[in-house]
Amino acid sequence: MSFLNPLLLIAGLGIGLPILAHLLSRYKVKRTDWAAMQFLNRSVRVRSRQIRLRDILLLCLRCLAILLLALALAKPFMKDAESVPAGIGERRVGVVIALDASFSMEHSDGTSTRFERGIEKIDMIAEGLHPGDPVSLVLLGAEHRVVARNMAFEPARFDELLRSQQATPEPLDLDTVPLTLEALVEAMDAPQKEVYLVTDMQARDWKDRPAWLGEAFEDLGERAPTTIIPVGGGADNLAITNLELVSGVLRKDTIARYRATVRNYGTSPVANVRVKGLVNEITVDTKTIPAIAPGASKTVSLFIHFRNAGPVRISAELESDSLPVDNARRTVAVIRDEVSVLSVEGSPGGGGDFLAAALRARGSDAGQENFAVRSVSWIDLPSQDLARFDVVVLQNVPDITPEQARVFEAYVRAGNGLIWFAGDKVDAAAWNERSALDGIPLLPAAIEQPVSTSDALGVGRPLDPTMPDHSVCRPLRSLPEDLLSETRFRKVLQVKPTATSSTVLSLAGTSAPVLLEHSVGRGQVFMFTTSADSAWNNMAVTPVFPMVLQQMVTYLTAREFERPRQVGDSLSLSYVDQPDASEAVFDAPSKEIIAVPVREHRNQYVALLEHAREAGFYLARVSLQAPGVPIAVNVDPAESEVACLSAAETMRSFEETGIAVAQSEADLLDAVNESRTGRSLWLSFLLAGLGLLVIESLLANLMHKRPGVRAKQSSPTMAQTGTT
Amino acid sequence: MSEHLPETNYLDPEVLQKLSDLELVAREVVEGLRVGSHRSPLRGFSTEFAHHRQYSPGDAIRDLDWRVYGRTDRYYTKLYEAETNFDCTILIDASASMNYASGKVSKLEYAKFLAASLAYVVLKQRDSVGLSVFDSEVRAYLPPRSAMGVILQIDQLLREVKSVPRTTIAKQLHDIALMMKRRSFVILISDLFSDVDDIRAGLDHLRHDGHNVVVLHTLDPYELEFPFKGTWQFDGLEGEEPLTTQPERIREDYLASFGKYMEELKAGCVASHVDYTTVDTSRPLDAVLSEFFHERQSTLNGASAARS
Repeated sequence: MSFLNPLLLIAGLGIGLPILAHLLSRYKVKRTDWAAMQFLNRSVRVRSRQIRLRDILLLCLRCLAILLLALALAKPFMKDAESVPAGIGERRVGVVIALDASFSMEHSDGTSTRFERGIEKIDMIAEGLHPGDPVSLVLLGAEHRVVARNMAFEPARFDELLRSQQATPEPLDLDTVPLTLEALVEAMDAPQKEVYLVTDMQARDWKDRPAWLGEAFEDLGERAPTTIIPVGGGADNLAITNLELVSGVLRKDTIARYRATVRNYGTSPVANVRVKGLVNEITVDTKTIPAIAPGASKTVSLFIHFRNAGPVRISAELESDSLPVDNARRTVAVIRDEVSVLSVEGSPGGGGDFLAAALRARGSDAGQENFAVRSVSWIDLPSQDLARFDVVVLQNVPDITPEQARVFEAYVRAGNGLIWFAGDKVDAAAWNERSALDGIPLLPAAIEQPVSTSDALGVGRPLDPTMPDHSVCRPLRSLPEDLLSETRFRKVLQVKPTATSSTVLSLAGTSAPVLLEHSVGRGQVFMFTTSADSAWNNMAVTPVFPMVLQQMVTYLTAREFERPRQVGDSLSLSYVDQPDASEAVFDAPSKEIIAVPVREHRNQYVALLEHAREAGFYLARVSLQAPGVPIAVNVDPAESEVACLSAAETMRSFEETGIAVAQSEADLLDAVNESRTGRSLWLSFLLAGLGLLVIESLLANLMHKRPGVRAKQSSPTMAQTGTT
Repeated sequence: MSEHLPETNYLDPEVLQKLSDLELVAREVVEGLRVGSHRSPLRGFSTEFAHHRQYSPGDAIRDLDWRVYGRTDRYYTKLYEAETNFDCTILIDASASMNYASGKVSKLEYAKFLAASLAYVVLKQRDSVGLSVFDSEVRAYLPPRSAMGVILQIDQLLREVKSVPRTTIAKQLHDIALMMKRRSFVILISDLFSDVDDIRAGLDHLRHDGHNVVVLHTLDPYELEFPFKGTWQFDGLEGEEPLTTQPERIREDYLASFGKYMEELKAGCVASHVDYTTVDTSRPLDAVLSEFFHERQSTLNGASAARS
């Protein structure tokens, strides 16, 4: 027998109280002379001894009752009560119920969703509980939410709580599930604990799970009998897994091409998939994909005409299917009246002309220029108002002052773009020093020295055709290889990339980086290790240059470097200056208004919403009256793969782990019966203690009353003054 | 009666105890009680003509008034009323058990007041009062006299007696009966804690000698009700083995045993033609005496009515 509250066994010391009272009453004797001793005769003396014996009996009963009550307080239980006769003790149990609330549980088989079927299974578990049994209910997602912790079970209240739960648009973080459940089991105060995990057994989570995770589940099973209750379903699901800007400039009165990727996660082909393109919730384009094979993805181009400047909410949507939550993909584009580029030249007549020409290059049918380029000498840099420009290009600039370095850093941190070109005039030491002010480098690499990359014939090296999947590389990858190899680099700066940088373009054969990038604050910095003119390469005179340059400016202004926000990610609103209001406001897609305090962080003011709980467009506002900036939040497409483990696979994956799998209602009832072998004895002890107290009280009353009946018949006081 | 008394409480035994002059005590008790009463409640042997009643068969021939018969030629019986010139002997039990007091007044003290008051009543009627004090033996005997000094002697005698445990009472009553020369009205004031047969033997002797006997069974209220609470040790006043017990728990047994004794005692008194009265020492003396006289008057009236 074990005790849930062993410390309360101290209450057993209360047994000393009646003993003490008994001893005190025996030693606290008053004396009196007495004349009528003849009436305290032998029978009275015998009775007095009987009374003493009864007192001892009552004392024993009292002590035993106290002992039983103390034991009841300590909540005794037997883990294995097979040998305990039926009727003694209760099958009390503490239950931890985990319900998978990832959005795959919203998948419907036509009549009900997996989540609804999961709730029905929990109803069955609840039927076996007694009122007062501790229950913990946790919804599993990317972040697990405990909605009831050690709640005393009350059928109506629990039912109401259960029905009010919904699946979240999050994926399931299976790795943290065992530890979360273990913590709940540990925190539970119950003679016997059981764990039920209701999940769709999504194959992407459960199949081929790592060995350590299997061991973690085994550990959980050792701590408490654990039963997995699968509520799986079909695998059919269409989802838009990506929506990205492919071409175009985010400028008013232009048309941009977005590409939506639709994936068929099901096991049968799907025909005539209609994809709608929406701008600010108005359908502007519709495409139909004739057929998508099982497990395949198809892309469609959606053309979006930007008619006004300002932030635009763009989304691609599918028609409803068995899992609606992943049928839409969203993004936000900030449309400008014009995209302004400031070109700062280190030497007059250098690469400025090449650069301006490259940015102004446009198709023959295009009307207005895509970019407004202003070229200035680096001497004139201090007089320029950087806020007027979306992107600044520094080419062959020998040096900048510390103040200018700070201005550039603030400029990039605010969300703008910086493109840096090397050149003969660049003072490496000065740039390295100025770039690394306050320990945060402006450039993605430290400059060492120029190195020649020419071969013996004086021909430079071409670009490495193996390019990363980067937006900037996209137009180059579409070029024929011979055209790409015409671009030659004779000289590049040898650099030492920082830990946060990544290489976008590099030279074939040497892997020497040609283009590097890194993020600074909300902005992005590109660094060319070669010149913007033809001094170190012929890139400036090849079609590669305008392609790369225009793509880079679009990439920077479209903020494509920013990771698309997913449900569960944090959302932030940055301020350049200290804001007037102490709180920012985030309007959730469900119209819920969330106030977030503004905090100072690295010389910036940021309002951070730690977790976006919904999929859709959030609106971040500096105050309730402010217009706000939309932020697109999408679901994790990985969760869209809703295929589940089969019953056999599920059984096989938990073989010899000590974890039961309840495929059917009967399995579930069997699992409950097999695991619930313990008995809680506190009620039995409590009833026994109270029963003994009642018996003691009745006996005491009986012992006092019985002689009274006799006495009433012959009380001498009745004839006190009678004369015979 | 009570309107002639200054304060009822004044007659509380505890208050009387503070009065050193026993005669004063007796007078205070009795005077108030006796005002307005002219007939002796102790009607007994000495008689006085009261009135005539027509003869009926069974009446004693000696009570016929022959002179009336001579004048009227009819038989009339003479009826007599008690006279006050009779002897009264008060027997006071001074054994150790009489020293018990649950309050401030012991049974012996109460008996003293009671005896003094009765003596005063008798003396006021110009009758004679005798006195005897006994415990295990007869400690003193004063033949009946009609002087107030008797009251003072009660106090003196009781003061001289050293309480000694007593086991029987018959022997002492035998001895006293032998000491009494004339038929007397005997008042026995005692707690009578003895064997009932023994008590009856003593009373029978007195009755056999022609004495009219009245028993004033003097008891403490605690002896009557046994109201102790908690744990008590009872030390016997007459050398009995002590008993430690919880009196509340044995109260019913005690009362049952005590009740049985009382029943037997009363039945014995009835059988021996002895008047019996229980006296609770917590009650005011005048109330006890008033009740006693009232009961006695009723008894005498009943007896005379039965005779007529």
